[in-house]
Amino acid sequence: MIDVQNVTKSYGAFEAVKDVSFSVEQGEILGFLGPNGAGKTTMMKMITCYMPPTGGTITVDGMDVLTESMGVRKKIGYLPESTPLYEEMGVRDYLNFIADVRRVQGADRTRAMDRVISVTGLSKVIHKDIHELSKGYRQRVGFAQAIIHDPEILVLDEPTTGLDPNQIIEIRNLIRELGESKTVIFSTHIMQEVQATSDRVLIIDQGKIAAQGTAEELKASIAGQMHLDMVLRNADKSKFIEVVNGIEHIHLEDIKLQKNGDIETALKIDAGTDLREQLFDLAVSNQWKILESSPSSFTLEDVFRKLTN
Amino acid sequence: MSEVLAIYRKEMKTYFNSPIAFIVISSFLVITNWLFFDYGDYPFFAINIADIRGIFDYGAIVLLFIAPAVSMRLISEEKHQDTLELLVTMPITDMQIILGKYLSTLVIFAIILGGTLIAPISISFVGDLDSGIVISSYIGFFFLGATYLAMGLAASSFTRNQIIAYIMGMIIIAVFFLMNGMANGSGLIATLFENLSIRFHYQNFFRGVLDTRDLLYFISLIFVSLLVSSTALASRKSK
Repeated sequence: MIDVQNVTKSYGAFEAVKDVSFSVEQGEILGFLGPNGAGKTTMMKMITCYMPPTGGTITVDGMDVLTESMGVRKKIGYLPESTPLYEEMGVRDYLNFIADVRRVQGADRTRAMDRVISVTGLSKVIHKDIHELSKGYRQRVGFAQAIIHDPEILVLDEPTTGLDPNQIIEIRNLIRELGESKTVIFSTHIMQEVQATSDRVLIIDQGKIAAQGTAEELKASIAGQMHLDMVLRNADKSKFIEVVNGIEHIHLEDIKLQKNGDIETALKIDAGTDLREQLFDLAVSNQWKILESSPSSFTLEDVFRKLTN
Repeated sequence: MSEVLAIYRKEMKTYFNSPIAFIVISSFLVITNWLFFDYGDYPFFAINIADIRGIFDYGAIVLLFIAPAVSMRLISEEKHQDTLELLVTMPITDMQIILGKYLSTLVIFAIILGGTLIAPISISFVGDLDSGIVISSYIGFFFLGATYLAMGLAASSFTRNQIIAYIMGMIIIAVFFLMNGMANGSGLIATLFENLSIRFHYQNFFRGVLDTRDLLYFISLIFVSLLVSSTALASRKSK
């Protein structure tokens, strides 16, 4: 449905997107994940025909964004970052205006209005002015304008930013619901969001794709790895480092000397190995006293941090 | 065309949902009529001649302050609210956006023009007005306003700040209006400046003659201003 090939975008000397290629299948929900300033928004602005790529090609349903821009725009519903709306307009007036520009007319208009109002739950505020709305309702109005022409593709730039937890869940449900019949690209910097809503994740960092796959695939890439946080008493720091570095499959991530002489350390243990017994024996033979030992497995969050740091 | 009208209808709603339209229309009419009937060394009632040229002389100056106030918000507000991004990603060309917005300001100006008819209508009851001159003057005044508004729109398309749009618009209009006063004599430069100035072409309409050169001058200024506005919108498209 959407095909991005070797796309580059520079603002002057700054390269916001560097040689990015990916594609989105029909009916797929793709989550763009990346820290702020990673190039997510720039990528979306190019797909929606707001601005052209400096290099490479983007096609939407076989149409090039540069040469068949009008055709592409008709297929896409777009919710830009921070949901820009005409503050002084009424909700119904605003949706009518968008329908006007998108040429949804006559009986289709009536049906489209009824549909978007019920899907986005706007009936309570339909007679209000936009500036009177809460952040959550504003977001719904943004969604309503994006789907009023029943587009095949939805591009949503950080649709949940600034919402409270209940609203975030509502918007996520909305994305999933819309994703049943549409191709959706949405961006976020929140891990759980992609896990909760998308079929596939694209991690973008510094203008490049750092990783892509389903949430499960990404987790599997570091699956089995384990964190082990320990606090040891009566241990010498340099001796400890020397010992740990001597063991295969253990990586020292962090070590701190506490005020009372205790050692606080974070270890990473490779997949398929369980070295806890060995560590215990080592502690005994060196007369270290294990005060704390808490293992934890990696989350998608760790994948994200690992890839984007 | 339906896209242009969609933009036009939205702008008209915005003008009339807020006090902007009322304020600009009434302030123009009050100030211009006061200047015409009651101000200066030769107020209308004192000189006792059935001539309404004063409306258009004063009107051109008052409009210099009013027209950029009408057009200042057109694009700069869209930029400020970031709604421009949504607008230009819908299936509508940049020129259609500009034309729809421009059309709405012309209709506001037409209402202003309608308001000024009070003077010629009331005077025609008590004296003899040369209807040919009145009609050609009105045509000139329409093109003058249409040019001001197009220039104001161009200024608005370069900034996200409405105040800057207003001041820039006013300066551009003033420079074109007064250009004939910027070079003296009869040399090439002076002739050029004179022919480029709004005042020079505007005055010709008061003689009751419509000269295609004057009409063409105003139409070209409008065309160039709209083109500049549309180009400013398209600047995002630079690679």
